[in-house]
Amino acid sequence: MTTPSAPSSTPSLGTSALARAFGGSLFAKTLFDNRRVLIAWALATGLLAMMYAAFYPQISADSLASVPEAMRGFGLDDATSAAGYLQGAVFGLLVPLLVVFYGAATGARMISADEESGYLDLLLAHPLGRVRLLLHRFAALAAGAVLISAAVLAAMLAVRTSAKLDSITIGGFAAQTVNLALLAILFGALATAIGAATGKGRATVFGVTAGLGVAAYALRGFAPQVGADWLRHLTPFDYYIGGEPLKNGFQPADAAVLAAVTIVLIAAGAWRFTCRDVAR
Amino acid sequence: MRTAIELNELTKTYGQRRGLDGLTLQVRAGEVFGYLGPNGAGKSTTIRLLLDLIRPTSGTARVLGLDPRADAVELHRRIGYLAGDFVVDGRQRAGECLAFLGGLRGGVPVARITELAARLELDLTARIKSLSKGNRQKVGIIQAFMHDPELLILDEPTSGLDPLVQQTFLDLVTEARTAGQTVFMSSHIMSEVEAVADRVAIIREGRLVATDTVTDLRSRSFLQVRLTFADPVRPEEFSVLPGVTDLVLDGTTLTCRVDGSPDPLVKAAARHTLTGLRADTQDLEELFHAYYTGHAA
Repeated sequence: MTTPSAPSSTPSLGTSALARAFGGSLFAKTLFDNRRVLIAWALATGLLAMMYAAFYPQISADSLASVPEAMRGFGLDDATSAAGYLQGAVFGLLVPLLVVFYGAATGARMISADEESGYLDLLLAHPLGRVRLLLHRFAALAAGAVLISAAVLAAMLAVRTSAKLDSITIGGFAAQTVNLALLAILFGALATAIGAATGKGRATVFGVTAGLGVAAYALRGFAPQVGADWLRHLTPFDYYIGGEPLKNGFQPADAAVLAAVTIVLIAAGAWRFTCRDVAR
Repeated sequence: MRTAIELNELTKTYGQRRGLDGLTLQVRAGEVFGYLGPNGAGKSTTIRLLLDLIRPTSGTARVLGLDPRADAVELHRRIGYLAGDFVVDGRQRAGECLAFLGGLRGGVPVARITELAARLELDLTARIKSLSKGNRQKVGIIQAFMHDPELLILDEPTSGLDPLVQQTFLDLVTEARTAGQTVFMSSHIMSEVEAVADRVAIIREGRLVATDTVTDLRSRSFLQVRLTFADPVRPEEFSVLPGVTDLVLDGTTLTCRVDGSPDPLVKAAARHTLTGLRADTQDLEELFHAYYTGHAA
């Protein structure tokens, strides 16, 4: 080990080994630059999910009877089984909304924030191509989404026995968290695409994406109340949890719908991105 | 002679606002080209068009014989670019940033980065957000020069640099020209371009006002002369001399402008006893100011 003050025969750029390892591509660099915020998201989401899941043994049918009739569509009133409870409070409300915000916040940083600051000019002046830049950035966002979902899965498996959630198979948890990752990636794609297509600022992109996410969530919840169940199928949340992966395991068709919408969003965003002026 | 940049009737409008209005311009390969104009004249617009960051409303641009849009990736490999306001993520260290940007270009020798950093006296281990504006600008200069590109496009490269570093920067530009690289640099200050540029273009409100060699521009400027005599002189003696204008005689002090050779004036003055002589070349700033404001002769 050499001391930092010792004159070195090999030139150094003052970079850490970690920074060097992650400086190789825009994808890796984006992950490295966002490492703290990604880890914070994963830890916070995992811990919150664990906390709520751990409440299950204390939940009785009585305490859930107080859920108003109008809120039935949100699925918060089923405490007859562990899967029912988790589909309500944890995988039906807390975690999906958190990952919507993750997707909106991170997606708004992928293009919009750098365009706002002017850094995008520098990146695009490099031999990279706009589509490649967008895909590298989006891949980093997707990797973050997978990390968050993995944290949620780990949290569930950690409390599975102690919180009496054994009736749900490991496969069921895995299937639900795969859908969770796909949901986060979908909203990340939406925010990335809005930023790429319009050049709007970070705050606007975040606001619009998060707003659409919450609106879609509410639509799915209230649709049965207004007798329009079919509306539920228009929201990504239906493909995320409508097939009840906790009970039924992996639903390839639902996952395919989420993935397909993501691909369409990114493709549309990339196409508009290549056509427009980069803002200053 | 090869052409590095060729603009043909290049026009860019932003809604109602005109950024660039039918600009036609050639930059030869291997020259240092100064692109002058006041803030808001369209300098950055031109540069961002060359880099395909924005697209022209009409007209065409060819850079190194290629199309800025269709051949963007290939072109960017061969271009070094410094933006007018160089922005990078401030949380990283300068060296980390440069290694990453070099990586996007397929790698730049570490020795090249450290050499440039040493010449510009930049601490590569410093976090970028802790650097002053001038030091941040050095990071920008290094990333533009480090891969020895065929074409350097520099937007206001010396802004924020102290005079010593400015000199180092000008040395880098001179070396780039010696190495056969083309340099296209914008500025709103003549003096920083004057020292290195072969030719300059002046733009104003999106239009080309003048292109010329620095030498010709300089020869176009006149002398401002003040002569102090021991005894009073008659103005007629001097007012008739070729090239002498704006003559003012105040007792024994004569001031005038001289266009062209100063020889007749000097010979006429030599017939008297001189106690003082002062001759200033017209500041090129003044000349450019005249172009900017549209009052050039």
